[in-house]
Order: sequence, then C-alpha cells, then structure tokens
Amino acid sequence: MEKKPLYNIFELLILMTKYIKLSLKSILEYKFDRTFITIAIFCREMISVVVMYLILARFVHIKGWEYDEMFFLYSFLFLSYSIFVLFFAGMRDFASMIYSGEFDRYLTRPLGLMFQIIVSRIDLSAGLGHGIVGIILFTKTAFSVGIIWSPKNIIYYIVILISGAIIQASIFMFASCFSFWTIKTENLRNMLFFNARRFSGYPISFYPGIIQKLLMFVIPFAFVNYFPSQFFLNKAEMNSFWSGYLYLSPAVAAIMFVLVYAFWKQGVKRYSSTGTSM
Amino acid sequence: MRAYVEFAKKAFQNNITYRADYVAGVINAIVMIFVNICIWKAIYEDEQSVDGVQFKILITYVVLSFLMQCIYGMDEYHIEYKVRSGSIGLDLLKPINFSAYVFSYNLGILVFRIVMQLIPALIVSIVLFKMYPPFSLSMAACFVLSTILGYLVLYNLNFIVWISSFWFYWTFSLVTIKDAAVMILSGALLPLWFMPQFLVDFINLTPFASIYYVPITIYLGQVPMEEIAMVMVKQLIWALGLFLAGKVLWRIALKKLVVQGG
Amino acid sequence: MPLIEVNNLVKDYKLNVRKKGLLGSIQGLIVPEYKMKRAVDNISFSIEKGEMVGFIGPNGAGKSTTVKMLTGILVPTSGSISIGGLSPSRDRKRNAMRLGVVFGQRSQLWWDLPVVDTFELLRYVYKIPEKTFKSNMALFNELLEINAFMSQPVRQLSLGQRMRADIAAALLHDPEIIFFDEPTIGLDVIAKEKVREFIRFINKEKGTTMLFTTHDMQDIEKTCQRMIIIDQGTTIYDGTVQHIKDSFGTTRTLVVDFSENVGKIEIPGVEVVEEKDRKKWLRFQKEQVPVSGLIYELTQKYGIVDLTVQEPEIEGIIREIYQGGIKFDESVCRVC
Repeated sequence: MEKKPLYNIFELLILMTKYIKLSLKSILEYKFDRTFITIAIFCREMISVVVMYLILARFVHIKGWEYDEMFFLYSFLFLSYSIFVLFFAGMRDFASMIYSGEFDRYLTRPLGLMFQIIVSRIDLSAGLGHGIVGIILFTKTAFSVGIIWSPKNIIYYIVILISGAIIQASIFMFASCFSFWTIKTENLRNMLFFNARRFSGYPISFYPGIIQKLLMFVIPFAFVNYFPSQFFLNKAEMNSFWSGYLYLSPAVAAIMFVLVYAFWKQGVKRYSSTGTSM
Repeated sequence: MRAYVEFAKKAFQNNITYRADYVAGVINAIVMIFVNICIWKAIYEDEQSVDGVQFKILITYVVLSFLMQCIYGMDEYHIEYKVRSGSIGLDLLKPINFSAYVFSYNLGILVFRIVMQLIPALIVSIVLFKMYPPFSLSMAACFVLSTILGYLVLYNLNFIVWISSFWFYWTFSLVTIKDAAVMILSGALLPLWFMPQFLVDFINLTPFASIYYVPITIYLGQVPMEEIAMVMVKQLIWALGLFLAGKVLWRIALKKLVVQGG
Repeated sequence: MPLIEVNNLVKDYKLNVRKKGLLGSIQGLIVPEYKMKRAVDNISFSIEKGEMVGFIGPNGAGKSTTVKMLTGILVPTSGSISIGGLSPSRDRKRNAMRLGVVFGQRSQLWWDLPVVDTFELLRYVYKIPEKTFKSNMALFNELLEINAFMSQPVRQLSLGQRMRADIAAALLHDPEIIFFDEPTIGLDVIAKEKVREFIRFINKEKGTTMLFTTHDMQDIEKTCQRMIIIDQGTTIYDGTVQHIKDSFGTTRTLVVDFSENVGKIEIPGVEVVEEKDRKKWLRFQKEQVPVSGLIYELTQKYGIVDLTVQEPEIEGIIREIYQGGIKFDESVCRVC
C-alpha cells in the first residue's frame, strides 16, 4: 500500500519559513554580538584578499592572470560558501546536535531528519561575513573582465554558485557523519577543507599536477571556482584541461551529494542501532 | 617561583591530550608554506628569476614566518573561560600573581609547541624547501633573541585583548580582528617591502612589525649589524609598553570585578 | 486490543573496546574490537489506552533504552513493538505524529526565544487545527498558568516554569501517548505537585496514555496505577502500585515517645531499630503483631507522650527489591 506523505510541498515550505524565521529571531536576540562577529569574519576573510591585492599591486599579473581575473576567481569561493552557511549550516553543524542530544529530539518529530537538520541552523554571521567579501569582489570584477551577462551566462552563474555551495556542504557533511560512529573528525575536516580552500584562492595551474588532481577529484574545489571562472574568462591555460570540465560542476555536486547522502543514511541507521548514550 | 613552573608543567601536560591537533598543526604549517611557495613561484616565473636571490629570500621568509606562527600560538580563550565560568574569583584568592600565572601557563604551551610542532615542521621544511641558512652565526643568535622579544610583544598585545573579556561576554570577535591585524601588519603573510609606503609608515608607528618582520629580516641579514641593537631595543620598548598598558587595564578590570562582586 | 504491545523486546549494544594510547586508538580504528552488551533482555508488556504506567529501575537497567525504542529513537535488535498498529522504527514519522515526548533534562523550547514562538512552530509541525490550538492554550494556561511567562525568552525562565512550558509543548497536539522522562527532576515540592496534578488531569480529561521514567517514587505513587520495574534488562515487576505495597510493605514502625527512660523493651515479634533520648522506633510485621494490641500493651506498661505508626515508603520497598531483599514469586508478575 502506497502511503500518503504526512506533509505536502506547500506545508513543508511554510514550515521551512517558520523555522527560518525563528532562527533569524534567535540570532537577532544578540544583535551586538552577531554584528561584531560578522565584522570579525569579514576582517579575517579580507586578509587573503588584501595580500592578493598587495601582491598584484606590485607584480600586476601572475602567470597571465590579472587583477580582476584573480579576484573574479576568488569571488566564487566566498559567494558559494556564503550560500552554503546560510542554507545548509545544519549539514556542517550536526555533529554537535548529536552530542547535545538534539538529534534524539528530531527523531521523535514527524518530520524528516535531513529537513530538520537543514532548517534548524542558519549561520548568518558567517554568511554575511563571507557574502560581503564575495559581493565586493564580484561587483569590482564582474563587469571589467569582459563577461557579457547574457541570460544564459546568468543562469550558468547561479547554477554554479548553488553547485559550489552543495559541494562544500557535502564535504562538511561527510566529515560530520563520522560522529555517528562517535569518531571526532572536526580538526581533520577543518584542516582538509580550509587548506583546500586556501589552495583554491589561486588558479590551480599554479600548483604541481598532484595538487591539481587532488583539487579536482578528492576535494573538488576546482569545480567550485576554477573551472566555472574559466567558463567566463577563457584563459589559454584551459587548453591543458578537458573542456567538458567547464560544465561538470552541477554533476560533481549531485554525485557528491548522493554519495554523502548514502553515507548519512548508513550513519543514521548505525545511530539508531546504538545511540550515543552507550 | 616553583608554583609557576608547576603551572607551565600542567599546561604542557594538558596539551598532550590534544596531540592529534598538534600533528594537524604541523601538516597545516607545511601545506601553508607549500601553497605560498607555489604562489611565489608562479609570480617569479613571470619575472624569469625563479632561481634568483629574490625568490630564495622569499622562500626563506615564508618558511620562517609559518614556523614562527607555529610557536606563537597561545591559548586565546583561557582568561575568557575563567571570567565566564567565574573560576577567576577562586584564582584571585590564591596567593599567586594572576598575570604571572597566565604567562607561565602560556610558556608551558610554548614549550610543548616547540617540541611537538616547531621541531618536526623545521625538519620537514629543511628537507623539502630550499631555504637559506641564517646570514651568520651571530645573526642566528640575534634572530633567536629577536623572536623571543617578538613573542613578548605578541603576548602582551594578546593579554590586553584577553582582559577585554571582563567587559565583553565573548571575545571571539575581538581576538579574530586582532589576529587579522597581526597577520597583515606584522608581515606574517607578506614582507613589508612589498607594501606601499604609506602602509609601511603606518606600521612603523605600531608594534606589529616587531612580531614577525623584525626577527625574519634579522635572520636574512637585511638589518645592518649596527642597527640590530636599535631594532631590538625598539622591540623591547613595545613589549614593555604593552605590558604596562596590560597592567593598567588589569587594575581597572579588577576594580570592576570587586565592585560587581565577581 | 491494547494500544501499546511489546513482545520479546531485545536490544544489544555493540560496545567499542577502546584501547589506551595512540597506538591503541589507531589499532582500534583499523581492527575494531567489539563487546556485546544486552541492555534490554526479552521484555514484554502491553498497555491499554488511557493507562498511566511508571517505568522504574536503577541507572543502566534498560528503562531509558526501552523508552528510546518506544519513541523510535532506537531500533530493536529483535522482538516487536506495536503502537496502535504502527512500528515506531519503521513508521517513525507517522508514529511521532501521535506521540508527545518530555525530556526533563533537555528542553525542546528555543532557548533564546519567547515560549510562544516554539508553540507557534509546533502548531505547524504537528498540523494542529486552529481551534484545537486555541482551546489547548486556554486549558494549559488555566492549569499551568503559562501565560504569565509566555512572552519571556526561555533562558530567563525558572526551572519550574520551563518544565511547565515543556510539558504544555509536548501536549499541544493532543498526542495519544506521551512519554515523560524524569518530568519533575530538579523541581521544588510545590512545582512537582503542580506538574503531577496537571498530568493526572490531562489523563482523566483527554484519556491520554502516559508513560513515565523517573527516579522519584513520589511521581509514580501520585500519578500511576501501574508500575513496571526493570532491572538488568528484564521486567522484575509489572503490576499495581497498591499491590506492591500490600504484598511487600508489611512491616510497620511504631515511633514511641516515652515520658521517662524505660530501658530495654522486650515484646515478641517487635524489634527496636533505633533509639534516641526517650524515643524508640519499634518495627514489626503487621500480620504477626496487631498494632492496636501493641499500643495497648505499651500504654499499660509505660507513660507515653506521643505515638506514630509509619507505613513503609514505596521507595524503601523498591530499594529492597533492587538490593535483592525481596524475592518475587511468579504469581506476582503479570507478564514476567
């Protein structure tokens, strides 16, 4: 017998807005703190931009990459990370929900687990901190690197940002899933993620082959910013890569999400057969 | 004195629990050095001088900076934790000097970081990256001394930020902003000689250069012998100045604590 | 047909055997070693609609594991659970729709927000019709006086207020079954009484089936008719609270305050368990020594200032059961 789902799409959307409203309201309870944190994150993220700016002010271009092109490349990282922490912060933070017992509560609710995890967390401070850096870089460069913002290009751009957010969310979620087996991976995750992200701030052509391969196939940041920006910039060095990579980001995001989702399912299964209390 | 040695020992032992973090820290440092070298290599490829002196100096600069970052790490939230949990009240009842206690605690961490991070990272760096040896033996000695002074400048600057937890409930934001300022203005990420003149002029009015830039340029032999004493005196003055500022702030904080009854 | 039916429920945990040291932990990652622990061992019981049942047992006895399986948090190793025809693990969401869960130690309210915000959200989560929501809110306010702190952030509430709000939140959608996990933990006497009164009222009015796990025997005594005692993964008692008192609470203690120091007292079947100044505590079995006879005998012999008869506290009985002091025969248990 086919069972009717408990909620229709419309009801789920209302629930989602209700959850988001409460999250935002919680955040605004500490306006001063949150604003201050946003500023701090903005400053922290601006460091690497300033360094890049100072280097380029001196050398004008690196390996054929100019000012605006470099910053355009960089802007993808900030914008997609911002989308990720605004909409999928729960996928980053659910390890702590498991430790605090919040996850048990989700299991006693009639809603889907992934739904509850995603809607119950918004990292507004990080979202804004990264987002503002991204917007500054984007508006500074989007019209000076010779991109025609045709509808096709705009759609590509939006799809790419969402793909990038999902790729990063998947990486975080993969690491968080280990907490179902009571393994702490936070430090390893931060190291892998943030180092990969640092690499990706510059074109992958700066690095030896092995690092390029890592950034394409292991922690696929190349699909978050390098290939997408090549779609717009068409730099000659793209000849050394397969041109199909330019369009692969959504597929990479989808594959990663499916794999991680399967892993998550295993984790939930494992959790409900052991719990954390033991 | 004996008590403070014990505090340092305790900090050392506490940190053994986090040795996985320290291993991660070593890898982190190596990766960061590597990324930066790759970037500088890309830059100098354009200039056709990857084998030039300039490039090698930069490599050495990058390696030294990240090795120093390894040992400059302190427990940024120790005081905040004590203030928030209220255990600072108990600490103040003990017959010890609280500031000295915090310092010895961080010294314990320093020793641990030297053993667990600096030495492994140094060995890997010497093998992997072709950095210059110190300009001369006497410069090496001056470098060590200057790094110690740099540590003291950073420590006293940090202490002021930590004390702010008496006024702010959370100090994450302030610590993060302070870190950002240190990373940029001290030359930890980019040598000052690449910076525009107005910025360098500004930095010279601040203690930041004393933390990274001064020790590294001494190592590289870029500070003439007769000026070394001068720059180190400047470091010392900054360390003392910040120390005194921290003392004053600490007094005010204490008064606040007493007035509010902890 | 009973609302809840549990048959031969078993739950095994695989415990990771952790080795000490860095090498040990690496070895543990590569070749994990497991030890099985049976937390729940073949438990069966059934609960009718509208019953109030208390689960008690020492820490680690398996009662919270049982409750976690009933609420769908954990999946049983073997055996079956049916709640109104649904399996909590397979039909988790559908089952959850009819459940309310109160964790005494963990609030489901949004910490930084006014209570009313969480209630509003739950209204949408459980799809509560406007009318039900309003009438329930009115009812809860009448009984728990929640309106007084409805618009305060949860972090500013006292524990008692928070608990009341939490219980109201769990009952908002008129669940058929509600689980209370330590509902009165940390509350003062008055707050505890208020909570118990409310729980009794809801049970009577709405016919909600209620399950408790608690350490506070008073909770059970004052709310439940039925009690299931779990120890070492098995049910060791399942029956009425009165029954356990009647069958095992047969000792009585007579506290006598004499007018003078009377020295040694020797009456057959009576044991002096405590002495303080001129006060004595005399313990006896109520079948062997009739109380009236004993009092008569004492008043004849001695000058007496005051007298009280103490019945054993249920807590004392349970303690004795845990410690193995009271043995159950098969006839006592309903489902053993």
